Amino acid sequence: MNIKQIAKAAGVSVATVSRVLNHPENVAPQTRDKILKIMEEEEYKPNWFAQGLNFNKTKTIGLVIPHMLNTMYMEIAKGVEDVAQQKGYITFMCNVEKNKDIEKNYIEQLLTRRVDGIILMFTSLDEKFIKSIEEQGVSVVLIGEDKCAEGFNTVKVDCRLGAEAMVSKLVENGHESIGILYGNDPKQESADMLAGYKNVLRENGIEIKDEYIKAVENTIEGGYLGAKKMMAGNPPKAIFTTSDEIAYGAMDAIKDNNLTVPDDIAVAGFGNARMSNLVEPKLTTVELPFHKMGVYGARLLFDLIEAEETREEPKEIILQTKLRIRKSCGHKERIGEMF
Amino acid sequence: MLKTNFLGLELKNPIIVAAGPWNRDGTALKESLASGAGAVVTESIVSDALLDVRPRIACDKNGAQNIRLYSDIQIEGWEREMSIAKSNGGIVIASVSAHTPSELVYLASKLEKFGADAIEISVSNPMGEGLEVVASHADVVYEMTKEVVSAVKLPVMVKLSQNTTNISKVAKAVKAAGGSCVSAINAVRGILGVDIESAQPTLSTYGGISGEYIRPLGLASVATISQTVDIPICGIGGISKGKHALEYMMLGASAVQIGTTVMVEGRESISGIIGEMEDWCEKHNIASIQDIRGKALENLKSFDEMKIEPAVSTVKSVPCTENCDKCRVACLYDAITREEDNVVVDSVKCSGCGLCTFICPAKKLKLEW
Repeated sequence: MNIKQIAKAAGVSVATVSRVLNHPENVAPQTRDKILKIMEEEEYKPNWFAQGLNFNKTKTIGLVIPHMLNTMYMEIAKGVEDVAQQKGYITFMCNVEKNKDIEKNYIEQLLTRRVDGIILMFTSLDEKFIKSIEEQGVSVVLIGEDKCAEGFNTVKVDCRLGAEAMVSKLVENGHESIGILYGNDPKQESADMLAGYKNVLRENGIEIKDEYIKAVENTIEGGYLGAKKMMAGNPPKAIFTTSDEIAYGAMDAIKDNNLTVPDDIAVAGFGNARMSNLVEPKLTTVELPFHKMGVYGARLLFDLIEAEETREEPKEIILQTKLRIRKSCGHKERIGEMF
Repeated sequence: MLKTNFLGLELKNPIIVAAGPWNRDGTALKESLASGAGAVVTESIVSDALLDVRPRIACDKNGAQNIRLYSDIQIEGWEREMSIAKSNGGIVIASVSAHTPSELVYLASKLEKFGADAIEISVSNPMGEGLEVVASHADVVYEMTKEVVSAVKLPVMVKLSQNTTNISKVAKAVKAAGGSCVSAINAVRGILGVDIESAQPTLSTYGGISGEYIRPLGLASVATISQTVDIPICGIGGISKGKHALEYMMLGASAVQIGTTVMVEGRESISGIIGEMEDWCEKHNIASIQDIRGKALENLKSFDEMKIEPAVSTVKSVPCTENCDKCRVACLYDAITREEDNVVVDSVKCSGCGLCTFICPAKKLKLEW
């Protein structure tokens, strides 16, 4: 069956069938399902290659991810894919293991495969390289902030504000010695969070001690080792970590030292990964809108791909964090957990 | 007679169906318009639609509590829903809700492209978002409104909340930011009740209370804004009759929104309210509904301006055979006694508080001097 026959069988116009293939989000779900069912029954396979020639589009996008095992990045990827699927696009996911060379190589590969656009998640590439992608007519969107690469469509979150709110909350809870375990990625965001941490301590007249500031791998193991080191001396009464994974490791280390969370050492993370509501005690953290970051990344990219007019000024979507108060920070007001 | 120019749009009447699950998609919006509404507002559209909890809506005879958050249709899907909503004509206002100005701008711009006639920014959701609702921070509301106003060509209305200490301050911020109108009030944070056998609150978390419960709050908010800021107001809260809509308008509203009544009584309530308003206007020779706007504000006085008259309760049309004794029981000054078929008010003891005139089911008592 060809597209005309599918249209006839479904009792719709060829244009509607074409819309199901190209802009499925613009077809009423009932009609869309009916047409898709006929296509399936008739084993109709659109010729993407021919379509690509027709519209000069391959209906594929590339998504470059720093590190696949980190659940934070995967939740963002899910957001991208949810929108891509609605738009009828296929997403190539490239895991670059936080390595610049692998990242460059993957991008070359994506370009030779003629993707319509690329989303770079917390990229390590510089402005010049990213510009060169655009110069080849491929749209680019960045997820995550990079002060070295500006002038692109970007989705970012003010992590410094989030960190400041969290550390302020720990101070408010009566903690006077607060340590920080900050991860090595994402780079800009971790540096911003460290700056926020120092700022809150300074504002509250709390001494900033080097022994309470430890750079760690952004993994559970990194958190474990960092907390162990911090506890070797005179441990702080609270530890703030720049990711939930680091916080899980820190909680594990505290338990291994026969101390309890939050009575001996309170812990607060950053991200609100799915597990954080399940660990014991439940982890107080700062919610990063992972899924929304991915959703907006994809939206900006499809806006660029579908733009009929000349390019507008690059857009910036700034998202907000939110405190998620749970038991691990030793707070006393239950109402804080409700909102 | 009911024609209303609101937000620069010509509405056939001032009854607007508010944002809420009854306007959850294009078909529902189209039906609300077909029921005679002057305009409709979409359920609040957000950046990233979340799954709903169950159960999420409860009600009793005085109103409802809901913990349903937002539209479950992503912005991508609203292109389709908007075209369905507008397929038979009519005015569709898109409600958007988000945490940052850039998100609001994105959503509002998209909805402008999809054909919305106006934007309503919802910054006053009473559940889930934080102990202090965004609408209690005039500076944040200013920032959000300003960004949206400069990004779209459509009129922008901002929905305010009673959950703030000074609603006028927020309304002023909307005006300063270039907003075209404010709507007031959103549902008020509350808990409908507790099942005392199981110690279970009606719904599992704090929610937004709407309906009859909040009409006095809505009326006061609209009056307050009218008396402080020169900005069109859309009155919201507990409107289920034509009379209620007229009350809001007499306190300064240019148009009103209805929601809970549509949810509980169905869309027939829309034409019911409009019919009652038309009848009233006809009976009172009102050529244009806008002529009554703000009429009651003239009679809203400060304590200084109230004249102290020596009025006392007077019994009209004795004998009283009601035999209910409600006035006697309620009288705070022991001024009312019953003598067989007669209710007697001691005019020396009566201080003219007025309570008995509202208590009497037969309306036999009146304040007079």
